[in-house]
Amino acid sequence: MAEVESISHSGICVHDLKEAEEFYCNVLGARVHSRVNFKTQDALRGRSIHTTLTLDDYVFAVMLTEDWMEVPDAGQLRGANRTRHSFCVPKARFPKVLEMLEAVEVPFEGPVMHPEHGPFGESVYFRDPTGNFLEVLWRRDEDVVYSTVQPLGHGGGG
Amino acid sequence: MALDGAFSHLTIEVSDLDKSEAFYLDVIGLDLLGRDMVAENRPTSLLALNTRQRVLLVEVPEVPPYPASGGSIHHAWLLTMEQFAKARDRLEALGYETGIDPRQSFRAVGEFNMDIHDPDGNRFQIQAFGEEGTEILASGAGTVACGKFGEFAPGSVTRFAEGRFFLVRNRDGFLALSAWCTHKNGITAWQKESWHYYCPFHGAKFDGNGVYKGDMGCQPLRLNPVSIADDGTVLVDTGRFFARDGYSPSQAVPARPGAAFQCGGLHPLAVSFEKHVGKAPG
Repeated sequence: MAEVESISHSGICVHDLKEAEEFYCNVLGARVHSRVNFKTQDALRGRSIHTTLTLDDYVFAVMLTEDWMEVPDAGQLRGANRTRHSFCVPKARFPKVLEMLEAVEVPFEGPVMHPEHGPFGESVYFRDPTGNFLEVLWRRDEDVVYSTVQPLGHGGGG
Repeated sequence: MALDGAFSHLTIEVSDLDKSEAFYLDVIGLDLLGRDMVAENRPTSLLALNTRQRVLLVEVPEVPPYPASGGSIHHAWLLTMEQFAKARDRLEALGYETGIDPRQSFRAVGEFNMDIHDPDGNRFQIQAFGEEGTEILASGAGTVACGKFGEFAPGSVTRFAEGRFFLVRNRDGFLALSAWCTHKNGITAWQKESWHYYCPFHGAKFDGNGVYKGDMGCQPLRLNPVSIADDGTVLVDTGRFFARDGYSPSQAVPARPGAAFQCGGLHPLAVSFEKHVGKAPG
């Protein structure tokens, strides 16, 4: 047993919060949980700097950068640039996901088959509108019953 | 149609796989599944948490510099309270500072946190949530004399910091709303520009009468009993709390001498006293 249950929450820096919300909700299927204004001035200006999203049992935040963030050339679809978030779907739905990415004109690289001795099946790689690297895959262990990720109802207190 | 998947794993680029693998195993406490189990053209190490979530370390020649504009970016590990206590001992034995929490003022009661950086400078929180997060917390201020009822205009919201409540005068009379968030015991703030109470800890919002607005399933802010003395002084008993399912005018105390909170149909709650915010568990 590991000494860590799960990832409590995670953050992704973006250049345009509204664009990021639309991408993660419309393409990945996330839901807006809350928009956080850490400062009253932000609320007065109607400006949110941090949107907390949920996707199934996962809580993550898209956070507005204060200035322009260097990202690799847009032609590179597979990479990490420090980190990459990966999402799994059932193997049976994987072909539909590829069709969906094509339909919404999100360019992707793959599918790439993983070694059979590992838990991952096939992956495709793409990027969000800011240029953060993402991955969707099916997993060979999709029928294994793991411990449940505890819900936090976390809204981005950080 | 959207992807509608679930989180699988977080890939982290590292400059020295041996060193980072040792950090994530020995310091953070993840399990090793194995090396080079993934189709990457660089050395990898796949690590496990106790759920289906995984962490993939990928060794790269050079980890990109941490973005100057992304200083607040981080990822967080969720531990049980027992694991948190063990992690604190483990980190201290390994020479890490465990008392540093740059955002302690943002912690709700019962929310415990340590910050740590991996060998390549990635920032992580180590988090745990204790039972205090859902206890009913009395401020210890006793009965607070707020002032004469005529001093509070209809529509006003007045914060009493020491007693941890808001005195509200609405069209029906007076309400004393406990400032403790019913989600995880954060302290809410009245944001008059938005006409709601807001909890900065996890983002919960409550309308002017303290009724929750959102999808976290929170109960309304709790009530402290209000009474109005014969001389017109508004008194709030901060030692008693009542839960409710929503707002009704009968919860408000009419603005006249001798009026008192009627608790009919509401649920009195057992009370704990406030504990120190952010203090690590023993």
